[in-house]
Amino acid sequence: MGSAMKFTFWKALGLLLVLPLAAWAANPALAGRWRLDPKRSTALDGWTAWDLVVSLEGTRVDLRHDMQWRATKLTATNAVDTAKPTTVLDFFRVEQRHMALYPVRGALTPVRAEWLDGERTLRVEATPQIESSQGTGPMRIYQELRLIEGDQELLLIELHSTRGKPLVYRFTKVIGEK
Amino acid sequence: MHRLIIALVCVVFSSAGLRAAGTGTDAAPVKPAARASWVMNFDSDWLVAKGLPEKIMLLSLQGLANRAAPQLYVVHPKEFQWEITGPLFEFYQRKHGVVFTEVKTADAALTLFGRHAKGYVIWEPVVPATMNVAFTIAGLEDALVVTAEQVAQVEKFGLKRIDDLRGRYTGQTDAQIYRDAYARYWARCTHDSIMLMGGHVGAVRMPAMADWGVRQKMFFHDLSANPIHPEEVALGKKLFSEMTPLGTVFGWHSYGKDTEEQHTTLLSGYGLRMEGLHNLPNLSFNCQFTFTPGFKFTNNHQVPLDAKLTAQQKVYISFVQSDSIGIGVWTKPGRGKLPFGWQVTVNWTKFSPAALEYFHESATKNDYFIGGLSGPGYMYPNHIPADKFELLMADARQLMATLDEHIMEIMDNSAADGNVGNADLTKETVDRYYKAFPDVIGFINGYGPARTRDLRDTRAMISYDYYIDPRRPREEVAADLNELIALNAKRPYFLLVHVRESNDVNSLVEITKQLDGPVEIVPIDAFLKLAASNKTYTTRYQDPDDPKHFKGF
Repeated sequence: MGSAMKFTFWKALGLLLVLPLAAWAANPALAGRWRLDPKRSTALDGWTAWDLVVSLEGTRVDLRHDMQWRATKLTATNAVDTAKPTTVLDFFRVEQRHMALYPVRGALTPVRAEWLDGERTLRVEATPQIESSQGTGPMRIYQELRLIEGDQELLLIELHSTRGKPLVYRFTKVIGEK
Repeated sequence: MHRLIIALVCVVFSSAGLRAAGTGTDAAPVKPAARASWVMNFDSDWLVAKGLPEKIMLLSLQGLANRAAPQLYVVHPKEFQWEITGPLFEFYQRKHGVVFTEVKTADAALTLFGRHAKGYVIWEPVVPATMNVAFTIAGLEDALVVTAEQVAQVEKFGLKRIDDLRGRYTGQTDAQIYRDAYARYWARCTHDSIMLMGGHVGAVRMPAMADWGVRQKMFFHDLSANPIHPEEVALGKKLFSEMTPLGTVFGWHSYGKDTEEQHTTLLSGYGLRMEGLHNLPNLSFNCQFTFTPGFKFTNNHQVPLDAKLTAQQKVYISFVQSDSIGIGVWTKPGRGKLPFGWQVTVNWTKFSPAALEYFHESATKNDYFIGGLSGPGYMYPNHIPADKFELLMADARQLMATLDEHIMEIMDNSAADGNVGNADLTKETVDRYYKAFPDVIGFINGYGPARTRDLRDTRAMISYDYYIDPRRPREEVAADLNELIALNAKRPYFLLVHVRESNDVNSLVEITKQLDGPVEIVPIDAFLKLAASNKTYTTRYQDPDDPKHFKGF
């Protein structure tokens, strides 16, 4: 009994020490501009192009989305922090634009982020409020951004609490563009 | 030109009396009296450098030949955007007793109909706007529209030069060219309608609606409604302001200059209505046939106007197609397998009644017709002047009554971005519709998804919650619909789906098999009645702070 308690104590202490280190350990290979490969991705709906631009600064990760539909261009950034839960004003979700689902303007979205798999995967969890024809309600979004071996490809897997089918997007690194 | 082999016995009967004794809804079929007409089979070559000049000459000839009587009809290949020319060709024979003789060549057409032209006008392909100026002249002067290379061909038939546009407009902008055309011709053109002959630009042009404009002596142009072309916008506004109130803009905007949203917004602001597309063929022929004697539109109503339905704890889905039923889904496989609402451009009652009769005749019990689009023609109601709204809607009410329609479909994409974005109605616009249509079952709104919703007395107004892009993988469509069902968790949930023209019904049947929960597919009239029984949706109008994508004038 006593040794078990001792083990649990040391284990907990070790975790406390390790977790912040993991939170700090951003993988610089994730930084940069990534361009969607539509042919190998779930079909976008209402968007024709998507660049994901990742910036790292300490525990902060800025996920900027450069979107395009015809001549319309839209840029939106979700700033997450791997050290602590945050809230994001007007969280941007790459929506299927032919669905009558809309972000609630001015809403704060709780967001958590964490490095996984030896800092090769960034996990992001967010719960934005979504307006539908019956009112507003939460959608839980779970994302993993996984660096593929060689660091020239990025895989984004996204799950919704409301969708039975994962959204799978593949990106390739864009060199020479900011 | 492609030559279709059709063996027809040419029996020329009297051309008097366009109405044949057709089959009424409650009368025994009577064989219609025969009448003679001619048909040409066009191919798909609309290249400016190849097939276009001959088609332009023939379209101007068709407009003149059909001035006094319906003599020349054009059948297009199946891949043509308007897929009904073949079925309608058969319909005219069967219901109107038209005995068609094929005209195989342009020379044969000139031999038959050249007498309807007084001469020719030469346009210059390197100055694209001269095509439209030439069409305007063709209508006013009874001229054929030709290039320099075709002059010898038409002169063989004794036709003389009426005008030559070569060099007149070299180096001028479209605004300059159309200003000159305005000064020369507009006063003599009809002001009841105008021909916006835009659409395809560059190597391919497709002015298949030109016959109609020539017949009616319309002013042809492709002026831009895009604010980056201020001189063109200004002239376009001038023309619209001088048109007969509640007039019609035929044709379509130029794909190279502006957007559908920009142009429809502009003309709606003048209380005008749009009838497209630029390649809608044969109106000069179609306009001369009325409904067959005894024919009366009888819609496949699933519920009477005064019925009261009660929604159960389930998901109700209804499908509607609104891209004009002459395009797309109607001729695709599987029609009839699902309840389907079809938006009818009610104005066709005036200039293409036979086409409407064909659609009604070939409707299955699952096909239900609704009025639109926004009124007696395509227009954006948020921009219709208040003093013209009621006059336009009175016309729409009358046309809907003729067509036995109980639902009005509304679309306003003036703040949208193509088929995404803001397609909502202001509260003021919604108020006007409720006032103008006291006797409808209800209203539907949108093209892409929208969020204008209301319920007043028994009349629900529901916007599309989903738009099926024909290119979207079917499994993703099913996943999208299931996600909407999950997020709209209250039951009943009313899920209105807009089906883009080029989808086919068979694929929709497969999608419906993948939906979660207690789902029922219902006809749109029952859908609106059910939606009126239990308002689980919010009331919402266009919010002034909602994003707007429109880059207008």
